[in-house]
Amino acid sequence: MRKLIGIMILFTTLLIAGCSSGSDEASGSDSGGSDFPTKNIEIIAPASPGGGWDATARSMQKVFSDEGIIEKSMNVVNKPGGGGEVGWQYLKSKDAHTISINSSLVITNNLLGQSELTYNDFTPLAILTTEWNSVTVAPDSKFNTGAEIMEQLKKDPTSLKIAVAPSLGNDDHLSFVQAAQEFGVDVTKLNFMIYESGGDVLTAMLGGHVDVATSSVSEFKEQVLAGKLKMVAVTSEKPIEGLEDVPTWKEQGVDMVFPHWRGIMGPPDMTEDEITYWDEKISKLVETDAWKKILKNNEWEDYYMDSTESAKFLEKQMENYNELLNVSGLID
Amino acid sequence: MGVDFQHIVEGFMVAIKPINLFLIIIGGFLGTVVGMLPGLGPATAVAVLIPITFGMDPTSALILMATIYYGAMYGGSRSSILINTPGDGSAIAATFDGYPMAQKGQAGQALTISAIASLIGGLFAIIGFIVLAKPLAAFALEFGPAEYFLLFLFTLSAIVSLSIGNMVKGFISMSIGLVLSTVGVDLQSGVHRFTFDIPQLSEGVDFLVVIIGIYAVGEVFYNYISIDKLKKEKKKVGSKWITKEQWNQTKWPMLRNGPIGFLIGVLPGAGGSIASMLSYSTEKQLSKHPEKFGKGAIEGLAAPESSNNAASVGAFIPLLTMGVPGSGTTAVILGAVVMLGLRPGPLLFENNPEMVWTLVDSMFIGNIFLVILNILLVGLLVRILDTPPKVLYPLILVLAFIGTYTLSYSMIDFYILVIFGLIGLGMKLLDFPVAPLILAVIVGGDMEQNFRKSIVAQDNFLNVIVASPVTIALTILTILSICYPFFIGWLRKRKQKNT
Repeated sequence: MRKLIGIMILFTTLLIAGCSSGSDEASGSDSGGSDFPTKNIEIIAPASPGGGWDATARSMQKVFSDEGIIEKSMNVVNKPGGGGEVGWQYLKSKDAHTISINSSLVITNNLLGQSELTYNDFTPLAILTTEWNSVTVAPDSKFNTGAEIMEQLKKDPTSLKIAVAPSLGNDDHLSFVQAAQEFGVDVTKLNFMIYESGGDVLTAMLGGHVDVATSSVSEFKEQVLAGKLKMVAVTSEKPIEGLEDVPTWKEQGVDMVFPHWRGIMGPPDMTEDEITYWDEKISKLVETDAWKKILKNNEWEDYYMDSTESAKFLEKQMENYNELLNVSGLID
Repeated sequence: MGVDFQHIVEGFMVAIKPINLFLIIIGGFLGTVVGMLPGLGPATAVAVLIPITFGMDPTSALILMATIYYGAMYGGSRSSILINTPGDGSAIAATFDGYPMAQKGQAGQALTISAIASLIGGLFAIIGFIVLAKPLAAFALEFGPAEYFLLFLFTLSAIVSLSIGNMVKGFISMSIGLVLSTVGVDLQSGVHRFTFDIPQLSEGVDFLVVIIGIYAVGEVFYNYISIDKLKKEKKKVGSKWITKEQWNQTKWPMLRNGPIGFLIGVLPGAGGSIASMLSYSTEKQLSKHPEKFGKGAIEGLAAPESSNNAASVGAFIPLLTMGVPGSGTTAVILGAVVMLGLRPGPLLFENNPEMVWTLVDSMFIGNIFLVILNILLVGLLVRILDTPPKVLYPLILVLAFIGTYTLSYSMIDFYILVIFGLIGLGMKLLDFPVAPLILAVIVGGDMEQNFRKSIVAQDNFLNVIVASPVTIALTILTILSICYPFFIGWLRKRKQKNT
C-alpha cells in the first residue's frame, strides 16, 4: 500500500517536474501578529540540490508536514551561489514566512570580505545539527595520531600536502588551523591543496595524491571502517559512535572542540510572536523520531539551541572565527 | 574476486520484481524526456526526485535514479539530431553528424542508429562492470592532478584538430572557452575573477547555459534573420530502419568506442562529454574517409553515442566500489542514497552484494527497454521537423529559458543566455566551430585547477609530464593529435603535386 501511494506521489511529481521546477512565491499580504503564519512557508537551501544544506531543508520540510507540526504548505527553494550569499540576499527581502538554512559561512563570508551580510543582519532562530571535523591519513602512513602530524608540521610546515574542500576559511580548514596553532605550528605556511568537493578530497586521498585530509567525519567514515584510510583525530567532545578508536583532540592534549554546525535563521526585524512561533515549532521538530532517524542516516548529531541560545552561540563563534582567520593569514 | 554468478542471478530476480520493472520504465521514460530538453539534465531530475525516494527501498531508489541517468544519455542526442541543440554536454558530439544526417533526410535512421549505439555501448559497459569493477576502480584512483591535466589537454587538442582546414578558428574558439572558464572564485587562492561583484557569478558560468545559449538560442536568432528567405520545403524524414550497409559501417565504431567511453566514465574526474568527444575524434582519425565526417557520416554519430552511454555506466564503478561520485549526477545520487541510510563505500560490495548486482542487472533490463522506447518514439519525434519554423523556434526559446532557470534558479542566467545566443549567432555567421568553445568551458576550470595542483605536487612542469606512464602516454597522444592535421595537409599537397 505504501508503495502504491509512493508511486502516485511519484507520478504527480513527475508531471510537475516535467513541466518546470517553477517558483510560486505568494507575495504581497502582510503577516499579522498572532495569526502567523498567514500564507505558505518557504525554506531556503542556499545551495544546489544534493548537499548538506539542501538535505537539511528537505528533511525539515518533510518532518514538519508528515508529523503535522505545521499545517501550512511548505516549499524548499534552492538559491545556490556565493557560498550562501545569493540565498541570504533573497532571505533579507522576505518576511517571517521565509526561513533559511545557515552555517558558519554566514559569519566567515563577511569576515573574509566576501559578503556585506553577516549573522547580525538576520534573526537567529535555531541551531539544529552538527557534524564533526576530522584529520585522516593513508592506512600505511607513519602517523598514528593527530599530534604526530602536528609535531612534524612544527618542524617543517610545508612538508605535508593537506587536502581540503571547497575553500580556505571553511570549517574543515579552520579546525585544522586551530589544532595546528595549539601545537605552535606556523599556520601561514601550511601547504593546502584545495579540491572542489569532499568527494574529490576522498578520491585524492585514496589515490595517495595527498598526505593528509581534513574533512567532515561522515565523508570518510565508510573508508575508515573498511580499512582504506586511517582517521587520527576528531574535533568532537567525546569519541564518535562507531569510531571509538579515533582519539579526539582533547584526548591528545589540545583543549579544543570544533563543531561543524547548521542552523536556521529568518529575515531581519521579526516580531516576538513570530520568533516564539518558530521556537515552538522547531523544538517540536527536533523531538520527533522521524527527525532523529534522519540525523542518524546522515551521521548528523543533534545540536539544538533555541533562538536566544543561538544568538549567544553565534556571537561566540564570530570571535573564534575572527581569531582563526587572523592567525591563518587570510585576513589582516 | 572473480565473477560472482550467484549474486548476479539473485540480483536479477530482484530486478524483475514488478515494482522495480515499473521504476525502470518510469525512470527510462523520464530520463529520455529530461535528456531531450536542453538544460533539464539527469542531475536536476534526480534532485527533484529526492523527496519522493524518502521511504522507498534503497535498492529501488537506486534503480530509479540510475535509469534516469543513462536514460538521459539516450534522450540527449534526440534534440542534437533534430534541432542541432544538444540536451547535455555529452550529446554535443551527436550534433556533428546527427544534424547533417537529418538535413539529408535521414533523421529517422539517425535517431535509430544512435539508440542502437547507446544500447551497444551500455551493454558493453555492463559486462565490463561485472568483470572488471574492482581492478578498474583501483586504476582510476591512480589518476592524480597530473594525469587529469594531461587528459583534459589531450581532449582539447583532439577537438581543435577536428577542425581541419580551420585550425586557427578552432583555436580561437577554444581560447574564448578557456577564458570563460576562469570566471568565478579561484579555488586555490579564493580570489574572485571576473565576477563584477555579482554573487551569482562566483561559481562561474554554467556550461549548460553556454550550450543552450550558443546552440538553441543562437539557432533561433539565426533562423529569425533568415526566416523569410527560407524556402518552404517539406523535409524528408526517411525510413527509421537502418540499411544493411549502414549497419556494416557502424558496427565496429560502436564496438570500439564502448570500451573508450567505459574507461573514461570510470575516472571520477571525467565523464560523458569527454568520452564522446574523444570517441568522435578517434573514429574520424581511424576512418578511411575522414572528409565525410561532419557532413552526415553515420559512424560519426554512432561512435560518440556508444561511448557516452558506456561512460554513464562506468561512472557507477567508483560510486559503488569506493563511495566516490564519478560525475555530477552520481554525486546527487550519492546524496540521495545517504538520506536513505545507505552508505556506498568499500564495504558495500561485501555487505550488500545483492544490492549492487540488482542495480547492474537492472541496467541491463533498462538499456533494452530504452532502445525499444527510443525506436518507438522515432515516429513521433521526427514530426518536430514538420513543425513550421514560426512555431518551432518560439517553442525552443521557451524551453531554453525554462531549462536555464532550473540550473540555479536565478535571473542573471537569462542575461548570460541571451549574450551567448548572440555569440552563437556571430560564430555561425562567421563560420567558427562552436564545439571547441563549449568543451573548453566544460574542462577549462578542472584543467587549470589540476595543472596548478600538479605543479605544487611535482615542483615543475617537466616532472608533471613524466610523472607516470599514463602522463607520458597522454603527452605523446596530445602531440600526435596536434601534428596530425598538418601531416594530413602535407600528404594532400604531395598527392596534388603527384597528380
